[in-house]
Amino acid sequence: MTRWKTVLVWLLGVWMAVVCWAAFFYAPTARGFKGESARIVFFHVPQAWVAVVAFCVNLVASIRYLRGRDPLDDIRAASAAGLGLLFSVLATISGSLFAKIMWGSFWNWDPREISIAILLLVYAAYFALRQAVPDDERRGTLAAAYAVLAFVTMPFLVFVVPRIYWSLHPDTIINTSGRIDMESRMLQVLLGSVAGFTGLFAWLYSLSVRLARARLRRRQQEGG
Amino acid sequence: MVTFEDVGKRFGDRSVLAGVSGQLRPGVVLVVTGPNGAGKSTLLNILSGLIRASRGVVSYRDGRGELPRERWFSVLGVAAPDMAVYEELSAMENLRLFTRLRGLRRSDTSLAALLQELGLAPREHHRPVATYSSGQKQRVKLAQALVHTPPVLLLDEPSSNLDAAGHELVASLLAQRRPTTAIAVATNDPREMAWGDEEIALAR
Amino acid sequence: MLGEALAVLAKELRSELRSRVALNAILLFALTTLVAVAYQIGPYRIHEEDRPHLLAALLWIILFFAATSGLARVFVKEEDAHTAKTLRLAARPGAVFAGKFAFNVVLLGTLELVVVPLFCVLLGYRVAGLLGLVLLLAAGTVALAAVATMVAAIISRASGSGTLFAVLTVPLALPLLVMLIQGTRAAAGSAELAAVLPALRGIVSLAGVTLVSSVFLFPVVWHD
Repeated sequence: MTRWKTVLVWLLGVWMAVVCWAAFFYAPTARGFKGESARIVFFHVPQAWVAVVAFCVNLVASIRYLRGRDPLDDIRAASAAGLGLLFSVLATISGSLFAKIMWGSFWNWDPREISIAILLLVYAAYFALRQAVPDDERRGTLAAAYAVLAFVTMPFLVFVVPRIYWSLHPDTIINTSGRIDMESRMLQVLLGSVAGFTGLFAWLYSLSVRLARARLRRRQQEGG
Repeated sequence: MVTFEDVGKRFGDRSVLAGVSGQLRPGVVLVVTGPNGAGKSTLLNILSGLIRASRGVVSYRDGRGELPRERWFSVLGVAAPDMAVYEELSAMENLRLFTRLRGLRRSDTSLAALLQELGLAPREHHRPVATYSSGQKQRVKLAQALVHTPPVLLLDEPSSNLDAAGHELVASLLAQRRPTTAIAVATNDPREMAWGDEEIALAR
Repeated sequence: MLGEALAVLAKELRSELRSRVALNAILLFALTTLVAVAYQIGPYRIHEEDRPHLLAALLWIILFFAATSGLARVFVKEEDAHTAKTLRLAARPGAVFAGKFAFNVVLLGTLELVVVPLFCVLLGYRVAGLLGLVLLLAAGTVALAAVATMVAAIISRASGSGTLFAVLTVPLALPLLVMLIQGTRAAAGSAELAAVLPALRGIVSLAGVTLVSSVFLFPVVWHD
């Protein structure tokens, strides 16, 4: 790793530490929520955000793979999907902890809970498909095609379905009016955390791509 | 005419075909030989454009110039052990289907003539292929490859499942089409090898 | 192209009429579940206020899972019978997709024609907006057939395709299913066409988006 990258990773560590501190000590207690429960928003929203970002990275890599059949693009797509799966699991857990405190049950079949559950299902299906195709090239193609197909049907879920019916979710961030209603210190921490989590994703993503790439290279060398 | 240069294929870590070059042209029958697993079928699949080569190039040209990849199938007739015709349909219905799929129109009499040329009596033409013997199925398969009179023929073990008479039949069909058709035959059968004017011997 | 697509459709219909494998599988599944549900619930077991929600959901659960038992066959059978390669060489991908998609529309249409009236009779389901329901069924058939045909093309090239089809279809079809259930509930409750319009709009655009992306994705999957 270059020195420049090392510095960035250290900066990321410091940044995340500051975000964690700020989430508990800098941001004020939100009104209208039980106790300090609302602080989970500083972790839950960035996790959900990263899950969506990963989905988009996966889409871009998938489209590039379908165009050029570069094995590296397939590696990128799979790495992004792996992280997407991880972060959507985290977002689901943090979300249902909050739901337990606020609404008394871990799972309420709230539209956005359904959305993340389906995102999880899509990722799981994506990996189930990858496992069922032994040939590298075909695996890449089929997985990429499925990813694109999933991407075009997702917006219907995330945007169409929740608006048709009623949601328990706090409306402060994603709402129909398109405005953000939040206290300014809370917003600062939230944005800082989103930035931090995005950086974390970028770092993990580059590690995962490098690992898969090294594996590919070794296999090619062994194959002669 | 089909030219291929330094064509190779790997599946994952395994190389199944390494650096083969050659040419298919009318008037010449190219036979591809080699032990099982040497990549005969893989080579034909690459030539047909069904699978992508890991390295090397294949090009098709007709009188007017190079053919784009999506037009290859329209000049190709292919028969191979891993290709079947529709068993629920009769031989006649299969041929009608394959001409219509290629956007062609041929009269039933000409289709019946082709089936008869391949040794299928008229009373067999309207039975479902599922009721045929394996030799008869092979004949329908060959008819499917010939029905659009393609200028390029790729045949993988064309007389497998055929009796001696059937073997003779295929030999005469190929001899008839040879002057106008570029033909490649992949085989291990010494009788089929004898048809070749040129040979590519693949090693494992 | 149209002639070639019709040739594919005609071949599918003829094969299906002779073997009836897909139709039998789907209808048997649908009728078994329908009878089981009807026997348990009948016209009177559910409270009046719960009927709109439960019956709409039950109808679509029966239709959807019956459909998943048969819609994959269009491509899976080609791979199983080794006719895929022959078809690939003879027909253009667009014609193959169009023909198979049309066949799945016919299959689903037949299923609905049998199941929906029976469901209404056995469970005493009264639909106020018949026209709305018919439009909804038509749009839903097209959308579901589009998704299922595309997924069938993908899984036919992987191993273990039977289970994989459900795993891959469910996350893609869930938004559709939710919209269909909502729409059906609206149609049952109101004779006004406007009641089903939001759901109908969503379903039609989902069908459109899926079909348009299939135009690009199918050739890639079919000739990987």
